[in-house]
Amino acid sequence: MKGSSLPIKGKNYTASELMAITSCKEFKDWEVAFVGIGIPLIAGILAKRFHAPNLSIVYESGCIGPEKLRVDFNVGDSSAADGALCLTSEWHVFGDLQRGFYDIGVLGGAQLDKYGNLNTTAIFGEGDYRRPAVRLPGSGGGNDIGSSVGRVVIMMGLEKNRFVEKVDFITTPGHLDGSPGARERAGLLGGGPVAVVTSKGVFRFHPETREMYLDTIYPGVEVEEIKESVGWDLMVADDLKLAPDPAGEELAALRAADPCNLIMGGAGSRKKLSGLEEFVHLTLKYAGR
Amino acid sequence: MSDSARGNKLMTLKEAIGTHVKSGSSITFGGFIGRDCLAAVHEIIRQGIRDLAVIDDSKTDVMDLLVGAGCVRRWEGAYLGYGAIGLANNIRRAVEKGMPFPLEVEDWSNAAVSMRFLAGGLNVPFMAVRSMLGSDIMKYNSRVKVMEDPYGGPPVALVPAARPDVAVIHAQRADVMGNGQVWGFTGNDENKARAAGRVILTCEELVPTEQIRRRGNMTLIPFYCVDAVVHVPYGCYPQSCYGYYAYDVLFCGDYHEKTKTREGFLEWLDHYVHGCKDHMEYCARVGWDRLMSLARLERQFNRI
Repeated sequence: MKGSSLPIKGKNYTASELMAITSCKEFKDWEVAFVGIGIPLIAGILAKRFHAPNLSIVYESGCIGPEKLRVDFNVGDSSAADGALCLTSEWHVFGDLQRGFYDIGVLGGAQLDKYGNLNTTAIFGEGDYRRPAVRLPGSGGGNDIGSSVGRVVIMMGLEKNRFVEKVDFITTPGHLDGSPGARERAGLLGGGPVAVVTSKGVFRFHPETREMYLDTIYPGVEVEEIKESVGWDLMVADDLKLAPDPAGEELAALRAADPCNLIMGGAGSRKKLSGLEEFVHLTLKYAGR
Repeated sequence: MSDSARGNKLMTLKEAIGTHVKSGSSITFGGFIGRDCLAAVHEIIRQGIRDLAVIDDSKTDVMDLLVGAGCVRRWEGAYLGYGAIGLANNIRRAVEKGMPFPLEVEDWSNAAVSMRFLAGGLNVPFMAVRSMLGSDIMKYNSRVKVMEDPYGGPPVALVPAARPDVAVIHAQRADVMGNGQVWGFTGNDENKARAAGRVILTCEELVPTEQIRRRGNMTLIPFYCVDAVVHVPYGCYPQSCYGYYAYDVLFCGDYHEKTKTREGFLEWLDHYVHGCKDHMEYCARVGWDRLMSLARLERQFNRI
């Protein structure tokens, strides 16, 4: 997923930066993690720099445990293989996923429902699956990760029409219809989603109803504002938490991990670069920081 | 194939594509949005090949170009997107508006596609996978079959073997016999090479067979899978090729910007594909100094 480059009012960081830093806490040391490209990857890199130095990142292209010296723009970039513990094939990585070796997966998406079912295939609009309003990339490995990984963290900007009662297409199953044992009955091995990290707060899933509720709110955000962006009657935790401000060293590491600001800043940052030489220079200068 | 042709399968890219890729072929490409042979895609477009059915895992740049140029009828695959850059503009126009042609889409997950190529390579009719269960991928794709485990476990999804007519796979090193050695991740390439009817092996470096023998465990694709060998340095640009050159995210960003309109894409295509008689002209147009910078960057991290 792409980031937003506007700072939060009165703060020295953006909502995207807070998303990355908040979600990085979801990884534990020594875990093996599937992370999507974009902010999820930045979160994985940050976890490795701070509390989870032995976290191993896995890419479906066949890269297991890279050092993460530079940021990737696709899971098949050569950077995904930098200093990897193991370089292998795609079907082996998916085999290891099914076998149960991978603890956590971080996924982005375009549409999400209250049971954590995720759509990355198409927004139908006035059309349908065959002729949708917006064709999205498709599952990629998202469905596989969401099906079989130990637990799933979803990262999405909180915008209207993205958190909906019913997604147009279930690309990656969450807790399906929320009924007890729904995932097991379908044949799914993994535990499904445990958290949704958004640009305004963090949601978690109720252990009995498997419905998403608001668990943590970001500085300067009102609960009503979040409720308005969600397409169902959102439950709010009795002990609603406030996300802490990121530490200065966390922000510094985050910015060093994406030195050209191409992940967090997108096309605008790309146009600010003078050219390829500046990209090469900054990538080498900040490698591994 | 005559005995002498078996020993030396070297061709130009033009000859290899002209001989093995026909309008209406089903085709797959090696790599994983990294080490995909874009040079072969440009040549397919130059030769005006049409109605391809592409069976693949994640293959954005290849598909966006081929679909925009009107070469593809059908996509069976998992992912078409520009990662951190954005959605694929030509794919969107084809699916949403039928421009330049409608694209038939059959959605799979990456593990499902991987298992389809494994089945193809093993010459068995199908493979079981624990993905897509409970999702709408199954709802719209009737070729995914759910099967109760006859031995009493939970249900599994069955996926049919993929057996494309042609595979185009780029390796870091190959010899003229067609032994392909790959460094870095290997995607589904070993199975694509075995599942396909014909294989075009493109490479960064052409090496003597003695060098292949010295590192036999790096040979991902043995000679008997391969029908043509083509030497195509920088054949994956603007994508990366592990150990040789890094991804050109700025070039891809510009492409993405330019292809927001159909006219912009056609201008790009005229400039970089139709306006270049072959891959060397394309490299010159991109700029050799640019390619050298990406090689310098990559070799700071990965050196073969």
